[in-house]
Amino acid sequence: MSLLSVRGIVKRYGGLTAVDSVTFEVAPGELVGLIGPNGSGKTTLLNILSGHADPNAGEILLDGKSCHGLKPEQLAHRGVMRMFQLTRVFRRMNVVDNLLVAGRAQGLGAAAAAAQANALIEELRLGVVRDLDAGQLSGGQMKLLEFGVCFMVPPRIALLDEPFAAVHPTMKEIMGAFIRSRHESGQTFILVSHDMPVVVELCHRAICMNAGGVIADAPTRDVLSNTRVIEAYLGGHAA
Amino acid sequence: MSSQSASGSGKVAKSSSSKLSTAKTEIEFRVALIVLVMVALIPAIVSNPYWLGVLIVSMYFAILAGAWNLLAGYTGQFSLAPATFAMIGAYSTGLLGTYFGVPPLLGILAAILVAGLIGLVLGRIVLRLKGPYLALTTLSFAEILRLIAANSINITRGDLGLGVPGLFNSRIGWYYVFLGVLAVLLIALYALLRSKAGLFLQAIRDDEVAAARSGVDVVFWKTAAFALSAAASGFAGALYAHFAELVTPELGLIGQTGLIVSMTVIGGIGTLVGPIVGAFLVYVLSEWLRDVGGYQLVVFALLVIIFARFFRDGLWGIARFFMRRARST
Repeated sequence: MSLLSVRGIVKRYGGLTAVDSVTFEVAPGELVGLIGPNGSGKTTLLNILSGHADPNAGEILLDGKSCHGLKPEQLAHRGVMRMFQLTRVFRRMNVVDNLLVAGRAQGLGAAAAAAQANALIEELRLGVVRDLDAGQLSGGQMKLLEFGVCFMVPPRIALLDEPFAAVHPTMKEIMGAFIRSRHESGQTFILVSHDMPVVVELCHRAICMNAGGVIADAPTRDVLSNTRVIEAYLGGHAA
Repeated sequence: MSSQSASGSGKVAKSSSSKLSTAKTEIEFRVALIVLVMVALIPAIVSNPYWLGVLIVSMYFAILAGAWNLLAGYTGQFSLAPATFAMIGAYSTGLLGTYFGVPPLLGILAAILVAGLIGLVLGRIVLRLKGPYLALTTLSFAEILRLIAANSINITRGDLGLGVPGLFNSRIGWYYVFLGVLAVLLIALYALLRSKAGLFLQAIRDDEVAAARSGVDVVFWKTAAFALSAAASGFAGALYAHFAELVTPELGLIGQTGLIVSMTVIGGIGTLVGPIVGAFLVYVLSEWLRDVGGYQLVVFALLVIIFARFFRDGLWGIARFFMRRARST
């Protein structure tokens, strides 16, 4: 059975159809790349999957159960964790507290949450800044922190929106290694990225969106050589 | 798990927050306790009833500033109705006593409940409002309730004021009642900040969307903060009513809210000790500046602008800066 079923999702903003009848399935343990040019609807789709926007039509099933009308916090409790394209951290709280919020909110006890926060800080190499307020971190460190927040309690599915954008190569490598290791142990991901080499390396399957719709859903290398995908990225009739 | 993280977790387990923020809260709590102990000793050297009265009213404002600090400083909800909830508390016990013969102690309990319930309803109404929209909506709510109280002359006696029975006649007694309530509020706030609730409220203050993504029930905690803050303000208002033996709509004047905001900002918003120090400083200063009439509010408004612009952590932030500098030298 699919872990995530997205069926006929439509999202309109006035006259603009941002997401147009999107349908796909994600199996447990899959690492799916979601790609497409700017404005193709990737972030809007993630907003719907994480409960930050309501679709006009369609349904989403997680573990076979409907997610209709669920709020972000309810989806977080069901194991849907979201990393935003524009980093969102608690800027006046230190790194440890940022992590503890997610752990405590998702039901970990104080000691378990602290242990998990320490382990993540070590794995993501944030030890030097652990006592600094998140607002004092560099952009890349903030991204790493938000990335860590998603894994305070291992989610059923992690929705990562551009985790590698504007990030130092060392931090990119840390996140990449983290994703690889978690994927090997069965973690499910949807990864939005414009960084094609990373998508090719990490994701066996890619879904390409353009103008709100899915134009390709296949093994990553096949998607990247798909004529419609190349046209969507380069514009016009590039092929 | 490494032994390092395991030992770290053991130490943190007593509190929901990290060791660093727990230590910060601990220092603020201890300093606030020292301030309260000093306040407790004042009657040993000050026996003038007028100045004891000034200090009692300072403690009334310290409770209101502490309650508003929970909402604005720790949860990021800039409500402009703290004085209104004090007025609601005062009228609740006053009206219950006058029309239904409810004894003062029961009246005070009812006042806490009524103010808390109205705070809960207001919290739900303004749930999606932020910044100036939240401030303007709560300000409108405050003015509507004050005008209702002022114009319901048949019930409240309007600006003439509603007579309320006193609890006892001893000024020293009242002094320690207000001090006790202030201490209880401080301890409750400290316990709240050390619990996961404190963590969630501060997360909501910083970023509601990120808080919800982390699994925090934003609606519940924001509403709870409104209700708790309103209940504490209602408690202060009810006590004040029995202390002053009179309730008037003046308790809910926007100028009173201005004082509460000034006290919190000048003392240090989002800190345990700031609102207490700010309340004593601003109210005692306002008594000294009584001769210059309405200009005292101008002085406080200027101070708020200066602190908000240059010293965002208030006097407590300045004190911390000098403490850190002294430690490093």
